[in-house]
Amino acid sequence: MIEFTADGPFAGGKADPLFPDRVRIIGLGQAGAAVCDQLVLHGRPGQDIWVFDSDQQTIEASVVPNRHLIGASTVHGLGCSGDLDLAREIVQQEAARLADTLRGCDFVILVVALGSSTGLALAEHLTQLGRHAGAKVIAIGVQPFSFEGWARRERSVAAIATLRAECDSVLVLAHDRLDASPDAPRNIRHRFHLMHQLMAQAVQALAQVVCKRGLIQLSFADVRSLYGRYQGAEALENCWVAHVDGDIHDTTGELIERLFNSPMLADESIWKLIDHAIVAVSGTRDLGLSDVQEMVGAFQQRLETDIAIATSASLDDEQHDRVRMTVLLAMTAPIPLEAKPATAKTPPKTPRVLGDTVSLAHLGPKKKAAPAAKTTVADEKPAPKSAKPKPAPAAPKPAPAYLPPVAIVGETIGEEPPIHDPRPDRAPDETRTRYVEARQEEMQFEPTRGRFENTAETIYRGENLDQPTFRRRRLAIKL
Amino acid sequence: MFWGKSRNIIAALEVGSTKVAVAVGEIRPDGTLALLGIGEGPSGQVRKCEIVDFEVAQGCVREALAAAEQKTDVVIAEVYLAISGAHLRSSNTRVTTQVNHDGDEVTQDDVQEIQDMAAAQPLPTDHAIVHHLLQYYVLDDGSKTDNPIGLASKKLTAHFHQVFGLATRLQTTIRCVKELSIDVKNYCLSSYATAQAVLTRHQKQAGAVVINLGGGISDYIAYQHGAVVHTGVLGVGGDHLTNDIVSGLKIPYAKAELLKKTEGSVILDPADGDATITLPGAYNFEERNLYRASLNTIMQARQAEIFEIILDDLQSAHFWPDFAGTIYITGGASQVRGLVELASQIFPCPVELAHQSPFDGDQIYGRRPDLSTLLGLLQYARQAELEVPASRGLARVGQSLKRALASMRLI
Repeated sequence: MIEFTADGPFAGGKADPLFPDRVRIIGLGQAGAAVCDQLVLHGRPGQDIWVFDSDQQTIEASVVPNRHLIGASTVHGLGCSGDLDLAREIVQQEAARLADTLRGCDFVILVVALGSSTGLALAEHLTQLGRHAGAKVIAIGVQPFSFEGWARRERSVAAIATLRAECDSVLVLAHDRLDASPDAPRNIRHRFHLMHQLMAQAVQALAQVVCKRGLIQLSFADVRSLYGRYQGAEALENCWVAHVDGDIHDTTGELIERLFNSPMLADESIWKLIDHAIVAVSGTRDLGLSDVQEMVGAFQQRLETDIAIATSASLDDEQHDRVRMTVLLAMTAPIPLEAKPATAKTPPKTPRVLGDTVSLAHLGPKKKAAPAAKTTVADEKPAPKSAKPKPAPAAPKPAPAYLPPVAIVGETIGEEPPIHDPRPDRAPDETRTRYVEARQEEMQFEPTRGRFENTAETIYRGENLDQPTFRRRRLAIKL
Repeated sequence: MFWGKSRNIIAALEVGSTKVAVAVGEIRPDGTLALLGIGEGPSGQVRKCEIVDFEVAQGCVREALAAAEQKTDVVIAEVYLAISGAHLRSSNTRVTTQVNHDGDEVTQDDVQEIQDMAAAQPLPTDHAIVHHLLQYYVLDDGSKTDNPIGLASKKLTAHFHQVFGLATRLQTTIRCVKELSIDVKNYCLSSYATAQAVLTRHQKQAGAVVINLGGGISDYIAYQHGAVVHTGVLGVGGDHLTNDIVSGLKIPYAKAELLKKTEGSVILDPADGDATITLPGAYNFEERNLYRASLNTIMQARQAEIFEIILDDLQSAHFWPDFAGTIYITGGASQVRGLVELASQIFPCPVELAHQSPFDGDQIYGRRPDLSTLLGLLQYARQAELEVPASRGLARVGQSLKRALASMRLI
């Protein structure tokens, strides 16, 4: 007699731990913790989820079992209050504790708010750890609201550049994208909650895709091909998420209609940018291949533009008569030139409006691109993946305004202004030579700022403007 | 009754790096403004428009207020204050609200709500809002308007230009005045005030940048389509020119300041060659001959640098590619010779010296570019006073009493 032993994925009527020790989801900072909470409450059971933050309240409020407070000895559980330098310091202090975080996993999904401090510092550190450990690192981040100020926005832009240089794939969502939706809640707390839900759904879909488990399999390569190619790296925001959770008895038309009513798809201008999509469908055992085919077909028909669609489908016995469809939309091509700001060549030195940042340029009124912008497209590509990762942008340090004087020999002065030589016994010809090798390194007194000695220094591009301009530019002054 | 026919007096105060000035004006019943007089005195221990020594600066403010009261025979109980400093920053922001009325008609409540939301915008730590200046409203179909009330739209978006600064620095300046028993009725960004004095509505509509070259700072404001689109403050001003001359030519500060005003130019003339300027001697200063080319080189380098930094900032702003207006220069440091020529070489658009709008009163003040901020602040105060409904009854009695007590320095 042949005996059958139930050893499949749904043996015992309960799902086994999903992707044990393979895909680890790590929520970093307050936003990351909130997203992971959503995953625990509404996601698939058995996922390997960790949370890190320096704020004790966040950690205590989280429902994730693996939650870790860092930097308690330095900030005493009070968080970093947006101080990125402090957060980096804390992360360095906790390096030994964090060293084992990524051990044994093949894929790491980092969830972080890009304008944060602790989350960002942790993301930078864990990305490097992941690379050393040989794990594939996927980062999913959200850009801050425009009203959160230019400082956070600039920080998020720098963070995206850093993560793209280090991670295998970076998915960037934007809080402001919800503005266009009339159904998006006006209450800011609810709006954050909505964004956390969307991010959780995106993470869930990513986990489903990379674990290669289900009816229709995709792989990490599919994710990387969409979110790891940075030809269009001028675009900061490159991911849009739509999700629908329906009953198995709902008609396909209803499901698709609700999918297209997702808050992130309310802004119709995004369809000009999107060129790829990953559709992740999951449901009970009753979900058939024909159902998936019908849903994806209906989704494709509903689209106004023709985009490439990759589909993943999996079964989840925990979902009783439910079917979930998550769509990750991606932009892989560069932003159309007319949507780029005309002065994209130099980064802004002053606060800028939301509509003028590169990622969301299409939200504001279209501006005529200056010819100069067309030539800067190639210049703005990020370093290739093989290139040495760029260090994090450092705060401008005031350069010494008074450089050691270089005396004059060996070179004909040419167009340079004549330099007064106080030595009376020097022949006229000798004054026209430059002593290149002689450099006075010692006895350099700190030059006085004169009248502005007691005031805050005015630093511009590393130069102390309180120092006389003629001295900084080495102009000769005849006395 | 002593409050029965009280005059509508307004006062504007500017605590600058080189001088403290108080302008007193009267709003006539027909809404026009008459300048009654200006009291001013040298500023002490104020650098880059920030107070370095509180007591000395307060003494200067007190003297300027006393001078203004004496000149105009008016008791000053409250002032409008010009705010400036290199700590000020600005950004363009937008706020959106849903319109939930029958017929989706935008009402005053929606406009008020959107303004409240703008006022509640989060700022960097330790910063306080100075202004949130409305640019325009956008309806759900993308059309722009200055007054959306009565129009139908499901969603209303307002674009603002907000100016904010370090709260502690702002408090110091305000406290310096309030401790003299003078109320600060409102405050205004210096560059915004300057624009009120030198720009007409037409110029704002056509596009204009006003650069106010002050003693300690240079601030600027840009208008396009009638709205403020960009502001900036650079912590470098006329004092830096003088300081450079002191450092380069090795002469005392007072001599350098005099030399800058009387002989200096920011245009380099090859004909200067070895031409010299004789600096007369004094009891502790020996007569000296200085090369004119050296003086002009020092001044030209500094002034050109200021303009280049401002241009760099303007070019990075979103409005600049479409800007087709004029740059107007004003401020005390704009009296240097060759300034417009130098600016014309640097800025890729027309450059002019600003002229103040006409006003009633002593016209001698209208010809002084160093008073443009103060007179603009007075215009701003007039506008603010006209927008606020006149106080009546008990409130008016309270105001009169407050003024009377203030005159006795009891509050």
